[in-house]
Amino acid sequence: MSSTSPEIAELIDALPAEAKEPEASSSPLEDLLQRLSHKPVPTGRFNRLWVLGTLQAKIAAAYLAWWLRGGYASADKRERTLNETHLKAALKLLGGMSYLRGAIMKVGQIIATHPDVVPEQFVEVLGHLHFEAPPMHYSLLREFVRAELGADPEEVFDEFETTAFAAASLGQVHRARLKGSGQRVAVKIQYPNISRTIRADFANMMAFLTPMRLSSDWGNMKDQFKDVRHMLDLETDYEHEAENLRIARSAFTEDEGIVVPRVFPEVSTRRVLTMEYVDGLHLDKFLATEPPQELRNRFGEKIILAVFRLYYAKGLVYADPQPGNYLFMPDGRLGAIDFGCCHRQTAEDITCCRDVERTWFDSPDLLREAIVRGSDLTPKQAADETRMKLIMDWCAWIREPVDCEGPFDFSDMDYFRRGVVLYGELLRRRYTRSRPANTWFTKSAYGMRAMLVRLKARVDMAAIFRRESTYSFTRGE
Amino acid sequence: MRVTAQKKKETRRRIVECARKLFGDKGFEQTTTRDIAETAGIAAGTMFNYFPTKEALAMTLICEALDEAGTEFDSRLRGDETVDEALFAHVAVGLRHLAPHRNYVGEVLETALSPFAREAVCEQAQQLRVGHLETVGELIALRGPATSRVPGTMTMHLYWTLYLGVLSFWAADESPNREDTLVVLDQSMRLFAGSLSSESKNGEEDHDVVDVTRDR
Ligand SMILES: Nc1ncnc2c1ncn2[C@@H]1O[C@H](COP(=O)(O)OP(=O)(O)O)[C@@H](O)[C@H]1O
Repeated sequence: MSSTSPEIAELIDALPAEAKEPEASSSPLEDLLQRLSHKPVPTGRFNRLWVLGTLQAKIAAAYLAWWLRGGYASADKRERTLNETHLKAALKLLGGMSYLRGAIMKVGQIIATHPDVVPEQFVEVLGHLHFEAPPMHYSLLREFVRAELGADPEEVFDEFETTAFAAASLGQVHRARLKGSGQRVAVKIQYPNISRTIRADFANMMAFLTPMRLSSDWGNMKDQFKDVRHMLDLETDYEHEAENLRIARSAFTEDEGIVVPRVFPEVSTRRVLTMEYVDGLHLDKFLATEPPQELRNRFGEKIILAVFRLYYAKGLVYADPQPGNYLFMPDGRLGAIDFGCCHRQTAEDITCCRDVERTWFDSPDLLREAIVRGSDLTPKQAADETRMKLIMDWCAWIREPVDCEGPFDFSDMDYFRRGVVLYGELLRRRYTRSRPANTWFTKSAYGMRAMLVRLKARVDMAAIFRRESTYSFTRGE
Repeated sequence: MRVTAQKKKETRRRIVECARKLFGDKGFEQTTTRDIAETAGIAAGTMFNYFPTKEALAMTLICEALDEAGTEFDSRLRGDETVDEALFAHVAVGLRHLAPHRNYVGEVLETALSPFAREAVCEQAQQLRVGHLETVGELIALRGPATSRVPGTMTMHLYWTLYLGVLSFWAADESPNREDTLVVLDQSMRLFAGSLSSESKNGEEDHDVVDVTRDR
């Protein structure tokens, strides 16, 4: 792998959130968040327990009850010391995973990926956090799968591997083979009750944020929250992901070399998703093999093709084109997985986007109009020249590789650096949030370019755009 | 008329099976010892010689279910489980076998197995408890951290409290497929397994946990 300056590497690694200097805090809430952000997130044995904050507090409480009841008085000195050790552990557990902290952490990832929904300081804290389901050992998995699919994994599947090969945000992924056909599959399994917990915690989080309703844009924030909540519902429902996978899969022909795994509905539920196993490397591992430029270019083309095709032919925004969601297959095909947070555009969303595209080379006035419409800007916002200029600059940045004649070189760090600055500015000023679809679109456009930069691909994006944008998505297609 | 041992065994079996059916059909509450005796075709007095109370009958059913669970558990062990997984499986298989008895397990076990119980409430319950803890002891001896291979009474008391907590949670669990119980059980056994190793470290600080006691 050719060397990149550490500074740039850091920039790239910091994607897609922008790293900011914490500013001096001025309110109690900010103080609290600041402090939380600097407290180390516990790691190791207990850290995964926070996911189930409230349940866990109950267990800790039982522990305390035991200590109080359990013959403390009658115990001899050695035992008493032991008891105190237990008590300390329980207290740590209870306090370190306090309710508030747990709640903040759990919704963290979602909100962190929607930095425009909450005040900056909040986002900053949440930016460091991720959903992380506790790992399941096989005995737990067996009981859960038995309840979901009606029989033990080893009866439902052939060669079910008892150890997970990958972690998923809400659970884990196991390799297996289908009975009969012997088809290799990846079985993604949610940790029991995690989706209900997340939803409950989201409600609590809303309550926690209520003090902010006094701020002037609470109304807007509430809308954004509704959108996030909707997304949470979808993301915790594997049947929805399965449906996205089916739609996406139908968008490609075999010779296009883009693999969207097939779903096997007879062995899937809302919490268990069984799909074709895609044998490939994640971006890091792929780059570590020092792939030749030609191969990078071909994968780059496929990434662009996948994103454009899904958008123009199926109205799907592959909202999170981050490295974990692509698999580079040894035979040169590209695997696109994880359609959990894929966003389905409405006909109106598409029209707005089309209008901007169409007017791009027309008069600046028409373009401006299309942008105002597409972003749902109020007259006052539309009159704000700083805002308009930033949005125009952003559009121009997105268009740059499309307007370039011939291959565009994504290893051009100057291009990417400008994008980082613009994207950061958009987020900071919260300009993307005017319309939920724009949030998704912006993230997708940025994420895709970030992938291409890491690949250092040289691709004729314009040609792919010309071909793909002729598809016309109609709902229900 | 002399009743042979064989005959006695058969009658006992018949009573147990009738009780199983009646508890299942009518519910534990709704079933009287008289109902059971009638269905089994014996006099109420005779019934008393076999099972003095309805609870004793229920206890027998529970013990049988847990016996079967024990057999399944033994046959399912792979051998490479960590101590928390093994303890989880031990309880989970038990709960699965107890499922048909869920509506009265709480009532029967609460008094019989309570950690407050100073002396054995009933012979069967005592055996059940001893048997369960023996298995737990074996699992810890085989898979626990080297320094706590012989768990002390405090450790076992902690385990028992957690186990009863899980049982009571399960008995009232309304979540789909009682999945919340799986979570409580998983977390409880991890907590317990964790306490085994912190015990072995002799109170050494756990750096992986935020020390809130310091903030106080
Ligand atoms: N069909 C598949 N074939 C091969 N690996 C897969 C497949 N689905 C998921 N994985 C592996 O599991 C990881 C997590 O899956 P993903 O769908 O991204 O989970 P999440 O629910 O967190 O979005 C992936 O990064 C990949 O390594």
